[in-house]
Amino acid sequence: MILRRLRYEAAGRVVGPVLLSLEAWQRARRHRGRTPRGPFGPPLESVRKLRELMTLHYLRGRYADGAVPVAWVTSGFPVEILRPLGFHAVYPENHAAMCGVQRLVPGLSEAVEAEGYSRDLCSYARTDLGSIATGRTPVGRLPRPDLLACCTNICQTVLYWYRVLADHFRVPLVLVDTPFVYGEAKPHHLRYVADQLRELVLVAERVSGRRCDPEELAQVTARSREGALLWGECLAAGRSRPSPWTGIDGFFHMAPIVALRGTEECNAYYRMLRDELLERAAKGVGGIRDERHRLLWDNLPVWFAVREMSRLFAERGFNFVCTSYTNAWAEAGANVDPGDPLGSAARAYTHVILNQDLRNRMSILGRLVRDYQADGAVLHSDRSCKPYSIGQVDLKERLTRELKVRVLLLEADHSDPRAYAAEPGENRIAAFMESFG
Amino acid sequence: MTGPAAIGLDAGSTTCKAVLVDGEGRLLARRIELSDPRVEAQGERILAGLREEAGRDLPVGATGYGRKRVRASRVLTEITCHARGAFARSGRAGVLVDVGGQDTKVVRIGPSGEVVDFAMNDKCAAGSGRFLEVVLGRLRVPLDDVARQVSSADRSVAVSSTCTVFAESEVISLLAAGEPVEGILRGLHQALASRVAALARGFLADGEVLMSGGVALNAAMVAALGEALGRTVRVLPEPQLVGALGAALSVL
Amino acid sequence: MHGRSAVAVLPVRYPKELLTALGVLAVELWGPPGAPRGEQAGRLQPYVCAVVRNALAFLASGGADAVDGVLFPHTCDSLQGLATLATDFGGWGKKALTFQHPRGERRESSAAFLEAEMRDLVRELEPLAGRSLEAEELARAVDLHRAVDSARAALLDGRARLSLADPELYALLRRGEWLWPEDHLAELERARAHLGAERAQSGVPVLVSGYVPEPLSALGALNRAGAFAAADDYAAVGRRLVREGGASPAADPWSRVVERYWAAPPCPTRSADTGQRLRHLAGLQEQSGAKGVFLHVVKFCEPELFDVPAIRKFFAARGVPVLYLEGELESELSGQAVTRIEAFAEILTTSGRAA
Repeated sequence: MILRRLRYEAAGRVVGPVLLSLEAWQRARRHRGRTPRGPFGPPLESVRKLRELMTLHYLRGRYADGAVPVAWVTSGFPVEILRPLGFHAVYPENHAAMCGVQRLVPGLSEAVEAEGYSRDLCSYARTDLGSIATGRTPVGRLPRPDLLACCTNICQTVLYWYRVLADHFRVPLVLVDTPFVYGEAKPHHLRYVADQLRELVLVAERVSGRRCDPEELAQVTARSREGALLWGECLAAGRSRPSPWTGIDGFFHMAPIVALRGTEECNAYYRMLRDELLERAAKGVGGIRDERHRLLWDNLPVWFAVREMSRLFAERGFNFVCTSYTNAWAEAGANVDPGDPLGSAARAYTHVILNQDLRNRMSILGRLVRDYQADGAVLHSDRSCKPYSIGQVDLKERLTRELKVRVLLLEADHSDPRAYAAEPGENRIAAFMESFG
Repeated sequence: MTGPAAIGLDAGSTTCKAVLVDGEGRLLARRIELSDPRVEAQGERILAGLREEAGRDLPVGATGYGRKRVRASRVLTEITCHARGAFARSGRAGVLVDVGGQDTKVVRIGPSGEVVDFAMNDKCAAGSGRFLEVVLGRLRVPLDDVARQVSSADRSVAVSSTCTVFAESEVISLLAAGEPVEGILRGLHQALASRVAALARGFLADGEVLMSGGVALNAAMVAALGEALGRTVRVLPEPQLVGALGAALSVL
Repeated sequence: MHGRSAVAVLPVRYPKELLTALGVLAVELWGPPGAPRGEQAGRLQPYVCAVVRNALAFLASGGADAVDGVLFPHTCDSLQGLATLATDFGGWGKKALTFQHPRGERRESSAAFLEAEMRDLVRELEPLAGRSLEAEELARAVDLHRAVDSARAALLDGRARLSLADPELYALLRRGEWLWPEDHLAELERARAHLGAERAQSGVPVLVSGYVPEPLSALGALNRAGAFAAADDYAAVGRRLVREGGASPAADPWSRVVERYWAAPPCPTRSADTGQRLRHLAGLQEQSGAKGVFLHVVKFCEPELFDVPAIRKFFAARGVPVLYLEGELESELSGQAVTRIEAFAEILTTSGRAA
């Protein structure tokens, strides 16, 4: 046990960084003298650090079994509660996104479709279950969970997905059931969430074999808040003309606030990124070289086509300067309060964008369009994500009418390429861009 | 060889098949025609013809899309009949893949020729023979030349559209871009094979997979399916008649 | 409607006793069947289930005219979306009420929440009903619904001895979705006269599960093929059937409503425990002697679809065939669907065996 713990720490602090430096040095040699790629501006320097951070995280994960308690966590779960207990947190959604980018989803999904999982189910879930069934993963190995931590604030589907995981791994599942906010959250709703958090601490303590120290919880909560605020500052840099980075960059740089929220490494990273973005903004360096139109992206990205789509848009001078998805991570965490970790977490996590009504959604989209001076929007009608996609037909109409922006409703999926007809999709994107004149 | 003992009719949506069998289930006569929408009339005509050939009235087993429209002694689904027909040919339990004009079936056959489990892909034509028919028709490639063209391809050109209609226009674009027609044909076959394989995946055990249905006459498709399944695919003799055979056996 | 108010209710589970106690008629919306029509049909993407699309199209094209409000239980993401879509972006001009039931196992937090949420619902319903909730009325309503469940249980448990075909039985049971409970109870009691001492069904018993028995012709096809629904786990029927042990009549009516809510069979829209659901299905299958399982689900219904592989594996291990039929609340069953049902029945009946 101690040996495993040592190995876990060594992987993170010594071996990993050495391997990464070597790799970085090799890459720098290859890329010396490279000119900026096509329609894009110079690549962000910070991306190297991002890669390092996430690689280390997954590398540590390979040694986590038996060394530290492991929790598989939904992206919207109040992870602050688990950090003081020493859990290594795995984010199946983040892992599935990676599989999506690498176009691994069809193979993984087919493995579980053979068991009877419908292709109409969320592609993240199919990816995760497929990875478990086949043992295939692009990150070497995912550690087995000792605890499953599920919060329904992003969707109810995670409950169905995580109960399959609970049945498979035979470990406790802690559920934070967040009532949907129609209008205003009622006092008994928030009380329910706070009560659930108190109940789950007891289960998590039992699994980890540690007591949750209130001091540490307050510190983690403070770090989460700071992380969310720093992430918000990074996003806010996009208000400059031109925006110093692209929306696609945002989707990738979002990984730490989701998977490493509450850690100092996450915050240190965003300080670095923010500084780089502000410097670029001051110098007028854009994420794309010739920014002519500014767009909002709604819903998850189309992971398997994210680079091609970004290029298609960039070539005609279109940049995604804001997205409702990346913005969500700046909003939620900003409201946690180290003075009242559980109560504030109950409130903050209940009010994430996907757990609030469409009136709130419209107000967020409107605010983003105005603040970032967007003149168009692409609403990704994500087949796999009902809570995000229902209402987009109406949102499109309202954005067009009230904010006078051009809107494209694009039918695709966040990680299954079989659900996207590429040729008609690209035709519609081209037609949309042409409509700007 | 004993005398004629039973008739089996498989009134499918694309083709109408019928067989005359003896007391041991051996084929004495067969009929295959394109299906007429007036299935009662067509069925009656075919049955009358076989009764005449047999020289007497015989019990009739009916299956297929139009099974309830004809006068028969026994009516059973094509699932059960294909299982029986395949079992009569193979003599043992196994997995049967039937790729027809409009639908595809996978049936797990038990040790007594009974149906253990089945799956059908009947909501989307892209998983059936119609997919090839539409696109080959558009390319003006005759069915009897397909296998030769596919085997002469030096590489496969991927056809990614999961919809028959979109695949048609994708193929036109590929041709316009200068891709070789043989490669596109191979890609088409692989696309259909992968969809059929996806349906069959939950059923596979070790050993060979049996194949029936009109599409089994296309050697390129048999090869592509074998590749997609990672198994040997054995085409049953007279693959289009397996259902009708099973129907006839049901009234013996 | 007898001069009393009516509320349209979306699926699945809600504390009906509260509406009854306030004299409000619940008109449940499990469709209507058929492709959605009208200009509202295009407001939802095609990958949203037929339950929600049909309900939206129906309510928006005049269906809401007959009711005073629409109640949305927080059943799933799609119904959640429909509730906010209608209220925030325009629906049909009637008051929208929401009811959030807790998910997962019963915990202190969720028990407290459920009661608070029910009391909140009452506060929303009282103005609609034009009166306030009296404890006596609530007690009477609980007794009435208890009697309804008892009568339904008698019919379903004694199914093999009931001389009604499935379409008739289910048409009767489904009338409970919109009749006044007293009226429904009366006809349930009349139907009990068809319960004999001897076996009345000659077909092969099947456990039916899924969302809703729509179209009824699916069960008709099952009957014609030689099988019948011997045990029920439909969301619309068996999963809302509360069987109470001897609950003390002296217990305060609010507690009884809450207890009845928790006592319902496991439902995938709320459950965090697959094993519990499988045990419940195993119990149904054993008690009824069902030889097969018919999973009748609606396309895109995630809560149901996530459980399907576990159910299939579970029954396969017991040698019990499972038929999986995915529908879209169509008004008539397709020929292909009938073929599947018949092929399944052929597996179960002796005529399915080779000579």
